[in-house]
Amino acid sequence: MSSGALASLDRRLLSGLCWLLAAIWVFGLVLLPQLFMIETSLWWLERDPQATALSQRIDRLYQEVMLRELDLQAAPVERRPLLEDEIARLREEIALLEAREQQPVKVYGFANYARMSGLHLQVFLRTLAYSVLVTLLSLAVCYPVAWTAARARSRRGRALLLLALVIPYAINELLRVYAWLMIFDYEGLLNALLVRLGLVDRQSGGIPFLTYPFTTFVAMVYAYILFMVFPLYNAFESLDEHQVEAARDLGASTWLLHRRVVVPHARPGIAVGCVMTFMLSAGSYSVPQIMSRGLGGDWFSQLVYRQFFEANNWNIGAAYAFSLLLACLVFVGLVMRLFRVGIREIAR
Amino acid sequence: MRFDRLVAVEPTDLDIRAGEFFSLLGPSGCGKTTLLRLISGFLKPTTGRILIGGRDMAGIPPSRRPTALIFQNLALFPLMSVWENVAFGLEARGVAKAERRRRAEALLELVALAGSADKKPAELSGGQRQRVAIARALAVEPSVLLLDEPLSALDLKLRQHMRHELRAIQRRVGITFVYITHDQGEALTMSDRVAVMRRGRIEQVDTPERLYEEPATAFVATFVGGSNLVPARVRRKAGTECLAETPLGNFRARNPQDLAEGAEGLLFVRPERLRPAAGHDNRIRGRVVERAFEGPFLLFTIETSQGQRLQVQWLNEGDVHALAAEVEVGFSAGDARILPPGPLADER
Ligand SMILES: Nc1ncnc2c1ncn2[C@@H]1O[C@H](COP(=O)(O)OP(=O)(O)OP(=O)(O)O)[C@@H](O)[C@H]1O
Ligand SMILES: [Mg+2]
Repeated sequence: MSSGALASLDRRLLSGLCWLLAAIWVFGLVLLPQLFMIETSLWWLERDPQATALSQRIDRLYQEVMLRELDLQAAPVERRPLLEDEIARLREEIALLEAREQQPVKVYGFANYARMSGLHLQVFLRTLAYSVLVTLLSLAVCYPVAWTAARARSRRGRALLLLALVIPYAINELLRVYAWLMIFDYEGLLNALLVRLGLVDRQSGGIPFLTYPFTTFVAMVYAYILFMVFPLYNAFESLDEHQVEAARDLGASTWLLHRRVVVPHARPGIAVGCVMTFMLSAGSYSVPQIMSRGLGGDWFSQLVYRQFFEANNWNIGAAYAFSLLLACLVFVGLVMRLFRVGIREIAR
Repeated sequence: MRFDRLVAVEPTDLDIRAGEFFSLLGPSGCGKTTLLRLISGFLKPTTGRILIGGRDMAGIPPSRRPTALIFQNLALFPLMSVWENVAFGLEARGVAKAERRRRAEALLELVALAGSADKKPAELSGGQRQRVAIARALAVEPSVLLLDEPLSALDLKLRQHMRHELRAIQRRVGITFVYITHDQGEALTMSDRVAVMRRGRIEQVDTPERLYEEPATAFVATFVGGSNLVPARVRRKAGTECLAETPLGNFRARNPQDLAEGAEGLLFVRPERLRPAAGHDNRIRGRVVERAFEGPFLLFTIETSQGQRLQVQWLNEGDVHALAAEVEVGFSAGDARILPPGPLADER
């Protein structure tokens, strides 16, 4: 075999291996858990309607067994076999009933999805609305930052600006959020500052910032800022400087320049940034958990968590989680339609 | 104009007349674009002033100068249709849509693109895109149109066609064109006047004819048209003429810069002015070492016994095949000039 053929075999092996790993990853870490979640969301355990009657009956039988056993100890020898027979019969019946009790019926259906209470539905919709707000807020903050960075004349300035954006990501997500907690807390920096300025009375205990959804928004924008900044930055960066100058030369205001030239060019980048930020916000658990600590309204992800680990009802939890995922996908699809962005462009 | 320590354009006095087709000609990197960007307002001059129509442009942004710039790469807006491109400047000025469309169509007619209003720039040919860029710039009714090597991306045929087109458009609209090029042919055929630049300095400003016939420096002489330069010394002055002493002998030549007797210089003769020897006082004999047949012309190089090579261009009068291995060429005193020594075009 020639060395060329060997090398090509090598290459084929390598690429085969890569495909295999990718397949394992997609299947094992993405598809399988999702399928499991979907499956879990589609069944529930049906309890016997007379479950309570049954357990009462079992209890009664146990008592009877106990009585017979007491009888047995006191009984004369000739009566013993009779009693023993009876105890055996009772135990048999108990075993039979217990078997029925321990096997609740697994029923498949969509009922889990219909079980959301009005309150939870409200939280669900509110979470979607909040995520939209976080996304818009993030877009509003990141757009000028990314624009400035992408248009910075000197390479140094550009690198510094991007570095400043990346550095917070070297810090653990929890700490990043806690930083905001320290600012917004009752005894936090902001309240201290307001008290110092005499705008707030110390006796009042400060302004309860943490009960406002806005503080969660701020922390969330900060937590996910890079996912918005980088797609925008890339999109702006790829815009030919001459396009900007041509627009300016023709008399375009900043508004017109962005509306007619920059935004149309950056559309795919904007869509990517919005989709990522939206998905991350809608599914964020730690940020609302830390920021609101039950003081502000819940986010849906917190409800899902509680279904799983407090109510211990994986079926409903899975249905909740999957509903959220579906709603997000639908929403993302709509946004992409709105921006007339295809999947291909996103993948660029 | 300086960038850090590099002086891109030296202090210059340049007077461009209203309504003329003015070209800036120079090799790559000599500061043409920089000068144009100074005029259009994208660069602020380090020192000096720029006046347009008598008005000082200091502090006036590109969008409010009476100039329109056509970029080296055109910088058409790829996502807008042709007519929207053309109408962009009107949009910036708040012209209503119907009126914009009407005026864009009129301009497209002017540049012979009437049928392409609804196409995208990418669907047009190079020459058509070129004309869209011109129409877009004309739409804002500038008093000066600045063109940065707009033909450099086109192939030779189209370039020659567009030269006429541009000139015709300029005549029709009657505004000042400032045209940048490193192609001397373009500059000579299109312009009313040409400024030749070298390393940020303007070497000569003149009509194409005078630039060709009466180059002021060795650089201009070699950059514009073909040239022969022979090191020379002024032996004796006689009015506007002189006797030049060269390694090839003594020749009579004009002395337009009035070089003093004994001064070093360069004797300059155009290849087509080296004619068959008969009837000329200045004669040079040499061996033909290279010949190139160019249809209407015969281009050949002769080498003198001193090893000096000279280029000769003769009109093809049906007798070129008869060119001997050794020829004598002659030139009149009026066709030769003695120029002060200086850098040549090839050195850069
Ligand atoms: N923004 C800038 N910063 C630093 N140096 C610059 C800048 N723009 C131009 N230069 C330098 O100034 C000089 C003149 O550049 P300019 O672009 O004006 O040349 P040009 O004559 O237009 O060349 P070309 O024919 O290649 O377009 C060059 O040496 C260039 O490197
Ligand atoms: Mg240039």
